[in-house]
Amino acid sequence: MSGTGRGRGGVWDGEWDESDQPERLYVITRGRSGTGERAALDLVTLIVSLAEPEPAMQPEHAAILRLCRSPLSLAELSAYLSLPVSVVNLLLADLLAEGRVQARKPVPKAIVPDRSLIEAVMHGLQRL
Amino acid sequence: MVRAGSSPEHRPASGLVWLLPAALIAAAAAAAVSVVRSGARVEVAWCGAVATVLVAVAAFEAARRGRALADLRGRYARDVAALREQVAQQEAQTVQLAEVLLPQSVARLQQGEFVEEVLKDAASDMALVTPEFHAARLAVLRWVLQAVEAQEGLRESAQRAFVNIARRVQAIVHQQAHELREMETRHGANDDVIDDLLRVDHRTALVGRLADSIAVLGGARPGRQWSNAVPLYSVLRGAMSRILDYQRVELRPVPEVAVVGPAVEPLIHALAELLDNGTRYSPPQSQVHLTAVEVQAGIAIEIEDGGLSLSEEGRERAEKMLSEAQAGIDLNDLGETPRLGLAVVGRLAQANGFQVSLRPSAYLGVRAVLIVPKELITTAPATGRAHGIGAASGPIPAPASAAPPAAGRPVNGGPRPVPTGDDEAPVVTARTALGLPKRTRRSPDPAAAAAEAAPRVQEPAQERAQDPAQEHVQPGQWIAAFTAAVGESPTSRSRNNSDESSGEVEQL
Repeated sequence: MSGTGRGRGGVWDGEWDESDQPERLYVITRGRSGTGERAALDLVTLIVSLAEPEPAMQPEHAAILRLCRSPLSLAELSAYLSLPVSVVNLLLADLLAEGRVQARKPVPKAIVPDRSLIEAVMHGLQRL
Repeated sequence: MVRAGSSPEHRPASGLVWLLPAALIAAAAAAAVSVVRSGARVEVAWCGAVATVLVAVAAFEAARRGRALADLRGRYARDVAALREQVAQQEAQTVQLAEVLLPQSVARLQQGEFVEEVLKDAASDMALVTPEFHAARLAVLRWVLQAVEAQEGLRESAQRAFVNIARRVQAIVHQQAHELREMETRHGANDDVIDDLLRVDHRTALVGRLADSIAVLGGARPGRQWSNAVPLYSVLRGAMSRILDYQRVELRPVPEVAVVGPAVEPLIHALAELLDNGTRYSPPQSQVHLTAVEVQAGIAIEIEDGGLSLSEEGRERAEKMLSEAQAGIDLNDLGETPRLGLAVVGRLAQANGFQVSLRPSAYLGVRAVLIVPKELITTAPATGRAHGIGAASGPIPAPASAAPPAAGRPVNGGPRPVPTGDDEAPVVTARTALGLPKRTRRSPDPAAAAAEAAPRVQEPAQERAQDPAQEHVQPGQWIAAFTAAVGESPTSRSRNNSDESSGEVEQL
């Protein structure tokens, strides 16, 4: 609308964001939702692929397998794929169920000296 | 009276016919004179003479009237013939007006010609009957054309109003979709929020499709424009995005081609309408298959459902609707979804050269095939970033180079602080092996640091000073650095890999 400054006379006049895609995220997740569908992963969980992408795969799955030949954290994956963490999580749940990727907790709890401190730092970083 | 033509032949003979009775009477009188006694002869002769004269006069008069009557009959016959001819002509003219002239004129009017032009041509077209009849015909034509013109104007303005409203809705929906995408990114880590956002996103897309349909029926182009080619896979999923029951659509692997920019939106919209038909008229638990194959003419996209089968009659009706795709919104159509959808598909197909056909499917439902002509397909890699980058095969890129540079927004960003003062911006003199900027530690202005730290008590001021630098760093690196720094032994195996990838990122 004209009030937004994006269009003239109520018509969207061509300021298309070229990074836009025709497909929406719910199609990529195939409409699944709920925590039950997602894998229990946090942002720093490292993902390593155990299999090669196959032609019949959904492109996002294939892309995850390709990207994760060397370990990547969930957050990194989300950034590289330009997909929200939650969506990547859903996709990873599929791959984990099929045994195509492995999730590695990066740091065993015992080694971390003070969990709360690290969490505070992490949250601080997240809020940047 | 039909014998009127033959009367002139008898005229020379009949001219003297009246003498016959006179002669007979004269002969009879003469005979009477000769037989009567001599004393009465004179009287009888007088009587005979008078009778002869009277008969002659009467016979002459009768003959004259007979001739006059015949003349009159002949004239009447000619008049009647002329009038009949005239009536027949007028009838023919009226029929021509009704069957040829009016439809033609209305058609020309609908193609945008003016009433006066059409009337002028029609006037010269007419054979002259009588001036009054001619004028009356023209008047009829003028009335009809003016009424049609007024109607057309009304319809056009209604159509414009529809398109205008649809455009506004489209603008709002596009912007909302854009903002929803941003929100989805922003709240990416919150599962509940994102689930809700996706639901809202879905409903918004449905609204957008309806607005697009109305715009298309009103003769406008659908929604947004794509300047770059878009991979076919993305186009198909884009079509799925816009229907209610997208979960029931089973998308099979498709050829790795792209659709040229101008055809993307019409194709998505047409496919969405066909998919909507497919999902709407099949059992709720059944699947709708969406495939695309390369054919000689281009790419054939098939939508096959296992729903109600289409009777031959229904199929013909539907195909007729597709092929006709008549101009303008028929307001009656707006209420009925299947008719609206097919009309939209027909319009889009006509405008973009798609070929659509409906056939019975192997699953006893309907198989809709849409053929995208070769000219609208490009095999060159689509420049636009798509989720399906190198979807199925292709060379295996290193992880970092596979990531597009455009991916440089933080996943979990929230509102970002804008670097304001120079004294806050760290001087980046070098980068660590992981690509993070190495800061030469300066002693921050204690007062400023305190002021900064005050609203965010828990966070040290130094961390905050790193904000602007974060802008230039690839996403995710901070986490890699973080995990690498924290965990010594467990991640040391993966560290080399991380180093490599980060190094490549830095070179980008």
